[in-house]
Order: sequence, then structure tokens, then C-alpha cells
Amino acid sequence: MKKALIIDDERLARSELKKLLADHPEIVVVGEAVNAKDGIEKIENLHPDLLFLDIQMPDKTGFDLLAELEKSPQVIFTTAYDEYALKAFEYNALDYLLKPVEPKRLADAIHKLHQQDEKDRLAASGGIRTLLSENDQVFVKDGDRCWFVKLQEIRLFESVGNYARVYFEGNKPLILKSLNALEERLDERVFFRANRKHIVNLRMIEKIDTYFNGGLLLEMKGGEKIEVSRRQAVKFKEMMSL
Amino acid sequence: MLKQVSKYWWGQLLGWSVYFLVNVFFNFTLNKPNLHAAVIYMIIFTMCGIASTHLFRTLLNKFRGWGSYNFEKQLVIFLVLVVSTSLVWYFVYNLVLDYMVGNRPKGKNFLLNLVDRGYLASFAISFIWWVIYFIWHYVDRNRTTQVDRLKLESTVKELELKTIKAQLNPHFIFNALNSIRALVDENPQRARTAITELSNILRSSMAIEKVETVSLENELNIVKDYLALEHIRFEERLQVRYEIDPDTLELQVPPMMLQTLVENAIKHGISRMVSGGTVFIASRLNGMEHEITIENTGQLVEKNVVNGHGFGLESTRQRLSLLFGNRATFDIRNKNEATVEARVVMPLL
Repeated sequence: MKKALIIDDERLARSELKKLLADHPEIVVVGEAVNAKDGIEKIENLHPDLLFLDIQMPDKTGFDLLAELEKSPQVIFTTAYDEYALKAFEYNALDYLLKPVEPKRLADAIHKLHQQDEKDRLAASGGIRTLLSENDQVFVKDGDRCWFVKLQEIRLFESVGNYARVYFEGNKPLILKSLNALEERLDERVFFRANRKHIVNLRMIEKIDTYFNGGLLLEMKGGEKIEVSRRQAVKFKEMMSL
Repeated sequence: MLKQVSKYWWGQLLGWSVYFLVNVFFNFTLNKPNLHAAVIYMIIFTMCGIASTHLFRTLLNKFRGWGSYNFEKQLVIFLVLVVSTSLVWYFVYNLVLDYMVGNRPKGKNFLLNLVDRGYLASFAISFIWWVIYFIWHYVDRNRTTQVDRLKLESTVKELELKTIKAQLNPHFIFNALNSIRALVDENPQRARTAITELSNILRSSMAIEKVETVSLENELNIVKDYLALEHIRFEERLQVRYEIDPDTLELQVPPMMLQTLVENAIKHGISRMVSGGTVFIASRLNGMEHEITIENTGQLVEKNVVNGHGFGLESTRQRLSLLFGNRATFDIRNKNEATVEARVVMPLL
């Protein structure tokens, strides 16, 4: 069973989608939101697994909403024909439905979600977690490009003022979150605060070297070199039982 | 430029060599005495001819854009030039001859001299030369204006197509279809009307290229259908007010113009407000002018529409100027901090 939240500013569009979802008993619509602000509140209260998200809404777009979330549920975008949004979908390989929604397309999209769930079956227990697990995804937007990134794919968070730079694959976009806030929410068994400016993914470390002052130098899988301060190096060795 | 010059010189060379050969041929066949001298005179005469016609062209080019003068003015310029250059030709030719042959018999007076010593010939040839030159340019100009006109026509066509595309806003159509589908269960009666409204809009947006103007009343019917459909989508977030002077209903306006402006008001104004807003449409007579205003809740964002340069607004301007020239005005501005106003002022035809 999946808890779904429908976010769309048009009542009729929401009721139409609910009607279509009635054919999919495994999807339970737990709520509806009428704009981005309302959507964010309801996501925090209802913890849906899945969003049906309209792009063009008053005040803030669906993309803006996702960028504000700490972690993103699974998302299926819905939009009427809209060249700009279509470009974004195709370009970023996101899953979307065109209004009026075709029942078969909806079934395909839901089917795809189930396949993804199979892959993530190994993920941590259900229920409400305060910590982000490595299977959680964050929505990252950088100019025209956007991604859903699983935490396990992220090598490194780097502090840049109020922002954090996220390193994954060949990309390193910024997200509007401070490093301290991230540290509080990340699972410390996976993500380690190496120094004031960096949080590293322990599973993405390529090489560990000693460094002067009893510190350590980590080389990440992407080639980044991160210094571990002396105080943190003690902790690090404990954790890795070196 | 180079091509033009070379064409001109080709013409000169060809024309004069034909003239020269024909003359020599006649002199030869008619068995004129001292053929030798005649040929030499002919060569000199031809040389002077080339020089004087070239002088003619140089002088003419001092009048920039002579092609756009009226016919009388062109005629006067040409005649003065032809007379003067052929005179130059005549004098130079005779000077050269006097120098070569020594004193030849002179006529009794200046006028007879002119006739006697070949002024008529030089004038006639200059005249013929000018006619050819003129016709050449006339044809050339006509050809280019035709090309220009074709270019203009294709631009207009392109613009029309663009407008039509802009008016059949797919986002609106699919959203409307989506709400109608939802209405089918909820309120079948309303769904039926909505389909009628949608087909009215599609019909009129396709008719746009066939008519130049429609009455305001027709245009308003379309706008009302459009707003009724948008009202299904936005529900209580969209309020509409009208203030239409009944005397303006018969007046002619460009088709789909009001519709485009109302669509803009919703797309950029109402749909961006969380709690929605009002669209206020007014049409009134102002002395000898017909004024239409569309107000909507919202604000113009500087970077998006500086003086209204979106495509819809641009096409509104262009269509107004096609119909009314510079006698119609269109502007869009922030009326106050919560309202945008678009205003069209048209002359009473």
C-alpha cells in the first residue's frame, strides 16, 4: 500500500485523478493540497510515499515545492500540455502524466513505482523515521537540470555559505540547506562530518592516508581529497576500528 | 556594386561597338569617298559618345534616389542632362577634329553650325542612350519592389500563423478538456455547455485568418465562453466583471484581440495568485475614440513584460497598426500595486 498526496490548484483536476486512482486499490489518497505551501505542510503532516504533483500552480511551481523538501517522496508529475514543463521532463527523465490523464498511462506509471519498490526492498523499516536513510531521495535543482538523488549516491556534502554543494556522479549542484542541518538528519553510520566544511559518505571512500598533526586525508571515489581534522580523526578511527 | 558596374560597362561597350560597326558598314557599302577618314572620324565620335554618356550617368547619380521622383521631375532632369551632355560631346568632337584636320569650313552662325557639324546626331544618340538607360532602371526597380512586396507578404503570413498558434493555447485547451471530463460525472448538464463553449472558441480561433474585423459583440461572446471555461477550472478564484457601453457593441475590432488580452490577464495574473482575483472588462466611447480596458489582479513583472513585449502583446500591436495605422494605441501597465491594466484605444471608423 502506498499513501499518496495529490497537489493541484484545480479542484476538478484533483477529483478527476482520484476517480482514476480508484482503480488502483494499492494507492490510497490520504490528502489533497491546493498550492505549494499547502503541499509542504501536508507532506510534513501526512508523510505520503507518493506525490501527484502539478507543475503550474499559483505562487510556486511544483519544482519549487520539491526543492524545499528535506527528502522527496516518489513523484509523478501531472501537467496539461506545457512546452516548458515537457522539456524539463524529457531532459531530466522524470515521470509525468499529461492531463487529461489516460488510464493506461497512469497504470504504467504506478507499475514503474512498484518495480522501483522491489529494488528498494532492502531499505530500512517502514514507519516514520526522523533520520534520512540512504534510500531516501532528495530533489536537486540546478538551473534547468534537476535530479532525484538517492542519498547512497552522494559522495560528499560541502558547505558553501548557507548552501551545501552536493557531489554525486559527475554533478555538483547547490541545495539550500546548511551543513549543520544536514548533519542532524543524516545517518551518522553512513555520513561522517570530516571537518567544518565537509560531510563524507563513508562508503564512497577510495583511500585513507595519514596526514600531519594526527589528522587523516581521505580520497573519495570522485577524486576529491578531504582533510579530517585531528579531533574528528580519533572518532573516525573508532568508527572504522582502525 | 561590382556586378552593377560591370553590367553598365558591358552595355556601353556592346551598344557603342554595334553603333560603330553599323556606321562603318554603311559607309563601306554606300561607297563613300575617303572611307579611311570617315572611319577615323567615327572612332573619335564614338569615343566622345562614350565619354559624354558616362558623364551623363555620373551627373545623374548626383541626384540620389532619382528613381523615386515623380515623372515630370525625372523628365526635366533627363532632358537638361541629355541636352547638356550631348552639347559637350559635340564641342569636344569638333575641337578634336579642328585640331587634327586644321580649319574646316564654319557655318554662318552658331545654330547652323550645330546642325551642320553633327549636333543632331549626338543629341539623337544621347536621347536613345538615355531611353535605354531609363528603361533598364525602370524594369530593375520594378523587379526589386516586387521581391520586396513578396517578402513583406510572407512576413505577414508568418505573423498570422504565429498568432493563430499563440491563440490556440494548448495548455488552456487540455486543462479545459480535463475539467470537462471531471464534470461529466459531477454535473453532466454543465459538461455539455462546456463542450459547446470550447467548440465556439476553437471555431472562432480558426476563423481569425478569414476576417479582418469582427463586431465587439461577437468578440465578447467568445470571451464570455472562454471565461466560463476558465471559471470551471478556477472556480471561486476567478471573478469577472463587465462594464460594456451598449453603443460600442456594433463597433469593429480585430478578431481574437480581446480574447488574447483576457487570456494574458488569466495566465499571468489570476492563475499566479493563491487566492485568485478579478478580471474587469470595460468598453466605452471617449469622444471620437473607442476605448477597451482589461484589468486584472496581479502585477507586471519588470523582466517579463517591459512595456508589454510578450508575443501576444506584440501581435496585438501589429494587428492594431495594420487596421488603424498609427491612430490606435495599446499599452499595459501596473494601475496600482495590486492591479494590471491593458488599454486599447481605437478611432471610430
